[in-house]
Amino acid sequence: MKEITAKIQETAARLLESGQVDIFIGWQKGEFEYNTKPFFAHNVEEAKNLVFDEYSIHNLSNYLLKFRDGHEKIGIVVKGCDSRGIVRLLQDNQFKRDRLYIVGVPCPGMKDPLKRMYEDSGFAVKKPADSEMAEKCRHCIQPNPVIYDELIGEEKPPLLKGERFKEIKELEAKSYDERYAFFEKVLSTCIRCYACRQVCVACNCRTCIFDETKPQWVGRETNVSDNMMYHVVRASHMAGRCIECGECERVCPVDIPLMLINRKLIKDVAEFFGPYEAGIVYEEGAKPPLSMYKEDDPDDFI
Amino acid sequence: MKVFKKGRLEKILDKLSESAEVYVPMMRGAQSGFFDYKTYNPDFDELVLEALNVLRPPKEVVFPQTEKMYSFKQEGQDVIIDKVYEDENPRIIFGIRACDLKAIEYLDEVFLTCGYEDAFYKKRRENTVFIANACYTPGKNCFCESMGVNPVEPELADIVLREYSDEGYVWEVKTEKGENITRLISDLLEDKEVQLPELKKFVIKVDYDGVAEKLKGLFEHPMWDRLSEPCQTCGICTYICPTCHCFDIQVKAWGDEGYRFRCWDSCMYREYTQMAGGHNPRETAKERFRNRFLHKLEFFYERYGKPLCTGCGRCVFVCPSGVSIVKIIEEIKGA
Repeated sequence: MKEITAKIQETAARLLESGQVDIFIGWQKGEFEYNTKPFFAHNVEEAKNLVFDEYSIHNLSNYLLKFRDGHEKIGIVVKGCDSRGIVRLLQDNQFKRDRLYIVGVPCPGMKDPLKRMYEDSGFAVKKPADSEMAEKCRHCIQPNPVIYDELIGEEKPPLLKGERFKEIKELEAKSYDERYAFFEKVLSTCIRCYACRQVCVACNCRTCIFDETKPQWVGRETNVSDNMMYHVVRASHMAGRCIECGECERVCPVDIPLMLINRKLIKDVAEFFGPYEAGIVYEEGAKPPLSMYKEDDPDDFI
Repeated sequence: MKVFKKGRLEKILDKLSESAEVYVPMMRGAQSGFFDYKTYNPDFDELVLEALNVLRPPKEVVFPQTEKMYSFKQEGQDVIIDKVYEDENPRIIFGIRACDLKAIEYLDEVFLTCGYEDAFYKKRRENTVFIANACYTPGKNCFCESMGVNPVEPELADIVLREYSDEGYVWEVKTEKGENITRLISDLLEDKEVQLPELKKFVIKVDYDGVAEKLKGLFEHPMWDRLSEPCQTCGICTYICPTCHCFDIQVKAWGDEGYRFRCWDSCMYREYTQMAGGHNPRETAKERFRNRFLHKLEFFYERYGKPLCTGCGRCVFVCPSGVSIVKIIEEIKGA
């Protein structure tokens, strides 16, 4: 990791020095050894603060949305899942490829700084998981960047062990009532902080449906019905677009198993319209399955 | 001294629950907060009075996230107010920490002083009794002392609990309301002289002195561009903050009847400042972020003479992007 950090600093310094990029997005160390956080280097001097360590978990591609209306050239470090986020933005026409210098780093699997912060806070929090590696990384099928200008480090094997959709199949096997009860339980705890939406690179609508007021599509009460409406609508907007970075579930302060919903949709889209993996290859002009129409699209579920 | 043994905690809560809703720190599934003891299910919940604190702040007992205000219906040409939902149920917040109780004092300022009285808040607040839990061991992100809170002498408390050892808690009555509650459970208390622990040192110290004055000239300072860079404008910090109190008032209606309710709102959201003509004065993270900290550290101070932060540390450890109010205060001092 130290070598990777050194190379990232070197690349960032080179790009910032030459003016090839105006801002370089990576990570910096936090107050504790484990709370690595997003960092925006604006000059050569600041490039020295960049790090890449086992807590560099954030999907930084979401931050590009802050710059989508500008002209800055941006350097950015991406892991496998984050790079799929870049493909998402390019496919959705949210960013121009030529404004980006992408530094890819194959990912060995990350630990979650947020989880450590919670655990070390002294507050009553969920018991630690049985693995040091972040939950999202245990489901990883793409540790290696799929789009980059420069690759730092050796390619890594996928981290997913066992069957990919095991939990989804278990859920599918349950009765309608059991599933309803399950989702009612997990979604009733939602505090509507919208962190899942805010960290999501696929949530790149300029005006989110949940912020609209005329009409107000979803009520603002925190109750099961409004919460479900929020999550069901958000999930359906993710169908065929979720790049499986798992950030939504990771940042949820009340531990809603959001990836369970997203993976169900990933599985369904692949079965109905696939094979398909969102953001795994960048092809100019290509669209996700639900953003286009084909005559032979299945419709027997309608 | 009056004390009770830990083994008697549930008996005390059972007894108190007979005449009031008793909100107790609990771990409920994956989340922690103050939940009504009547809903306590030992198979699923865990009482966590000994934990430093819980994630969801107790402000929601006096200021719920969603609160019905009144319902209405149309009759002919008239609209009739059907019911006003002022909630007068007696409540006890059991085990509230000094930082969170200080936050209630700030909510009182907002909802009960300076010429405005919020009837809904007032009804809840007047019927709430605080049984505080003195804090002797600050956590890694705690800085209440720096924000003018004494963790071992919680203000506003009707009763103060002091964990003197693994054996039990001291039960210290502070007010008449506290006396009345104590009478209900006096047979569960015993007399015992115990040694109280000493307050351990705080790891984090913050120097708030002069910050409010300094901020007056910093609205256009470039530091806001840099500090707000990582902020993704989710509302976690505002919703787990014991002092944040912004709300919106909205309506749900079907045909000719409906109800009006209020619900927490967050200055981090676009909708919060969205104007009718389409303009939004706080379009990006920078403006929203700056407003949040100016409100906490400057505007609230100007109106009420204190900062809108009690140093509970929640926002510091929950922020997905690692934004820390402690760092921000340092940056302001250094700006």
